Amino acid sequence: MEQAVQKKPEPWRRACHQCDLLLERAVAPLGQKLVCPRCNATLHRNGAHSIRYTAALSLTGLLLFIPSAALPLLHFSIFTFGAENTLFNGVQSLFGAGYIWLSSLVLFCSVLAPLGKFTLLAFISWGCGWEALDRPVANAVRWYHHLRDWAMLDVYMLGILVALVKMSDLGKMAVEPGLYCFAAMMLVSNLTTLSFDPYAVWARMARRRERPPAGEAAGGGS
Amino acid sequence: MTGPPKARESGLTSCLCCHQLVRMPEGEESCRCPRCGGRVHTRQVGSLTLTWAFVITGAFLLVPANILPVMTVIYLGAGEPSTIISGVMQLYDSGLWGIALIVFVASIAVPVMKLVGLVLLLVQIQFRLPLIPLQAMQVYRVVSAIGRWSLLDLFMISILVALVDMGAIAEVAAGPGSTAFATVVVVTMLAARFFDPRLIWDAYDARREREDAVEGAVRNG
Repeated sequence: MEQAVQKKPEPWRRACHQCDLLLERAVAPLGQKLVCPRCNATLHRNGAHSIRYTAALSLTGLLLFIPSAALPLLHFSIFTFGAENTLFNGVQSLFGAGYIWLSSLVLFCSVLAPLGKFTLLAFISWGCGWEALDRPVANAVRWYHHLRDWAMLDVYMLGILVALVKMSDLGKMAVEPGLYCFAAMMLVSNLTTLSFDPYAVWARMARRRERPPAGEAAGGGS
Repeated sequence: MTGPPKARESGLTSCLCCHQLVRMPEGEESCRCPRCGGRVHTRQVGSLTLTWAFVITGAFLLVPANILPVMTVIYLGAGEPSTIISGVMQLYDSGLWGIALIVFVASIAVPVMKLVGLVLLLVQIQFRLPLIPLQAMQVYRVVSAIGRWSLLDLFMISILVALVDMGAIAEVAAGPGSTAFATVVVVTMLAARFFDPRLIWDAYDARREREDAVEGAVRNG
């Protein structure tokens, strides 16, 4: 654990969220991470330019979502018959066959949660620059905290690979352009998770409250 | 001899969402975080009860999830329903050992490991068995990290249902086992989510305090 001296007379304190250990002057230097000395939990990863990276990556993810959802991912053909799958028609087929719970779960984990994640992070990283949006941004961070575990694009990608292999001896399987967009979106999703540092958002909002002049508040960034 | 300082003893609690240190009002067990607005509890409410409920539910549903078929492949009018295990065996027989291993780990090993790991943690805490906190934390972290990969089989089914849809030539249909399996995965993820790892250290510290008290009594007596 590394500590830094704070300007404030009252020492900055925090508690580990996994073992409740009380830590004083627990601040991670830039580019490093803070680890609990007792249970080895990572408390904070202080990345440089976290908000800017998150803003760029989340917008990229939203842009990639459009072709990923619209274009077919795979094409399968036997003799002259063929079919292709998108993110949605698998869900539709399951729903039509009566598997409502299963189709809802697949839809949530492969479409709604990733889309919600990108949307929330874009709103957080852009919205934390305006004082009027402090409360909605705080709510968005809380929603992101609950939603992040349910975005499973990487598991879906592995499912695609297994489906490819499983059916390749039955007929002819071809990869469509939508799959490349989906793979790119998956990478961007993981990078967004790594780059987002909620502490940077809280720190930016706290700095703005300490410095009332509006001119300097907008310039603050990490 | 007191152990390392805990936030609870100082009347403080860390918000699980934004990690802000919150002063708990006197006599209260929960309050609202001033920073992110979320509700903060000293310990997750009903953590052990909820985790036990989810674990038991998941264990029961694991039986139909593996007995009932999850998928049926119909090719030229003929086809047999396959369970998760028979699907793995088919991949293995086809020489696709790597894919078979991936599906086996994701669909069979991971749910079982999650349930066993959570039961170990719950039993150690609830019945005050001796535990090594760092090992327990590793079990908890593994259980939390691997849970999502179990959905692999379900994603594959949803992909194939749309992809292999050619009427009389070839068709893939989902089976009732997939519903049970989906519930197992979600229930185990919720179990890991509701488990509060701080209870591990509470149990450890309580046990150590009792041992110190006994040792002190023996030394004085």
